Amino acid sequence: MQSESNIDPKIIEEILKFSKNVIEAPKLVPAPDEINLEVTKYDIVQEIDKTRLLHYNPLTNKQHKTPLLISYALINRFHILDIHPEKSWVKNLLLQGFDVYMLDWGTPTSMDKYLDFDDYVNGYLDTYVEHIKNESSNEKISLQGYCTGATIATAYTALHPDSVKNYIATAPVIDGWRDTTVISNLAKHMDVDKMVDTIGNMPPEFMYYCFSVLKPFEQGIEKYVKFFKNIENEKFVDSFLRVEKWLGDTPPIPGELFKQWIKYIYQENLLVQNKMFIGNELVDLKKIDMPIFTQVAVGDHLVSPECSMPLHYAVGSEDKTLRMYPTGHVGMIASSLSQRKVLPELGQWLTERS
Amino acid sequence: MHLMSSKPQALTSIGPMRAFATNSKKISTELIEINEVLRGFNTHYTEYFKQLSETWNVAQKKVNIKVPEIPQDVEHIESLKRLWIDIFDNDFTELFDSNKFGENYGKLVSKELELTKHWNNITNVILQSVNLPSKEEIDEVYKEIHSLKKRVAKLELELKKKEAKYAK
Repeated sequence: MQSESNIDPKIIEEILKFSKNVIEAPKLVPAPDEINLEVTKYDIVQEIDKTRLLHYNPLTNKQHKTPLLISYALINRFHILDIHPEKSWVKNLLLQGFDVYMLDWGTPTSMDKYLDFDDYVNGYLDTYVEHIKNESSNEKISLQGYCTGATIATAYTALHPDSVKNYIATAPVIDGWRDTTVISNLAKHMDVDKMVDTIGNMPPEFMYYCFSVLKPFEQGIEKYVKFFKNIENEKFVDSFLRVEKWLGDTPPIPGELFKQWIKYIYQENLLVQNKMFIGNELVDLKKIDMPIFTQVAVGDHLVSPECSMPLHYAVGSEDKTLRMYPTGHVGMIASSLSQRKVLPELGQWLTERS
Repeated sequence: MHLMSSKPQALTSIGPMRAFATNSKKISTELIEINEVLRGFNTHYTEYFKQLSETWNVAQKKVNIKVPEIPQDVEHIESLKRLWIDIFDNDFTELFDSNKFGENYGKLVSKELELTKHWNNITNVILQSVNLPSKEEIDEVYKEIHSLKKRVAKLELELKKKEAKYAK
């Protein structure tokens, strides 16, 4: 007896191929510790507690006079800005002739649970800015903040405008009430006092939970299906694993800083209303009067454009530029689009002012 | 010998058995309170999965309406997968973004933290019974170190300014 079936034999073929790829994956892909995320060479020029100031080696003979310091986010690590030779934010800026420094926030331990905004803004960031000013013999530097690093950089720029010549805010977390992401919804309902008093620093596991509810099916299923389908494509696998390794490595956030973050930014929304105090000083965004370049990604599901854009309107600068890009939070800094469009535009803007 | 035999409690005056009765009472109280918190935790935990499964069912129904029959070729299966992911991502993002989810999740985490707090309290009783510092005492040390570091940084800055002034 012969059974009738309308199933396309290609389906069986696809399933068999996919299963074969899954089985062979361990032989074809490197282990996470075999992947080096540090693409561009740098020197460690200063260290305070667990934080480090990195100075990238120049890639051009002639450099712009004003150095650029990048204040990376507190979530995950700075490697995303130098994740791949062809998609490196840092390398691109070096090739455009900029003198690039990076702030690595390091890995806080239980001992650091009392570190707060004041320590990050008026402590670490201020000390590193002073170091760069002295080292480069400049009275002012250019500052770039990315994501939560941009919140710290924004507060710094408002409190120390005399040290910042140009300010670049890339997907900055500014207006928590306007943020339309799932993260802001979770943050608004969080008993952050109880959380920090009980567990101290914000553990990476909690961050991973927050990431897991962002586009859970695209990120949790489709992404890996695509990976196994392309297992023989070396270039694809390399890029995929680099980003995966970066995603899987986030440090804890100091408890006190996290508490202030959730309260001041997401629950009470003090920063954009010019009501936030850091180290007894009011952070007044109108005091940001230097040239400012705000970069926003339309498809950002971590920091929505509505959360970032208010910075452009809140500052006191006359020379201000707002750019929106058709990409996501990571796509804006580590993709072919960022190399093709975002970085050349930033480079041109910064060159004219450096 | 006479003194020791007349005061058997003196044998346990410096080891972990010291104040055994008081410690047992503290631990028992914590355990009773843990049970009460667990009840609240279970309520929010059930609600959490109820919200997830309800959203799943609604999303799956939407997919079923759009694609009533299982496709038989590769191209259509690929479109079905795309549609399934889009509908599920939209519906679940809507749920995670909703007030009811945020509220319940906040309460669930809060109950979990209360459980941790009770566990910390039990651990503190045990730590103190063997003369080790409690979490609060260690926190005090951390706070003191943090405050001292700030003061040192401030003094260093002032010193630097003075040195620069005299150098001129």
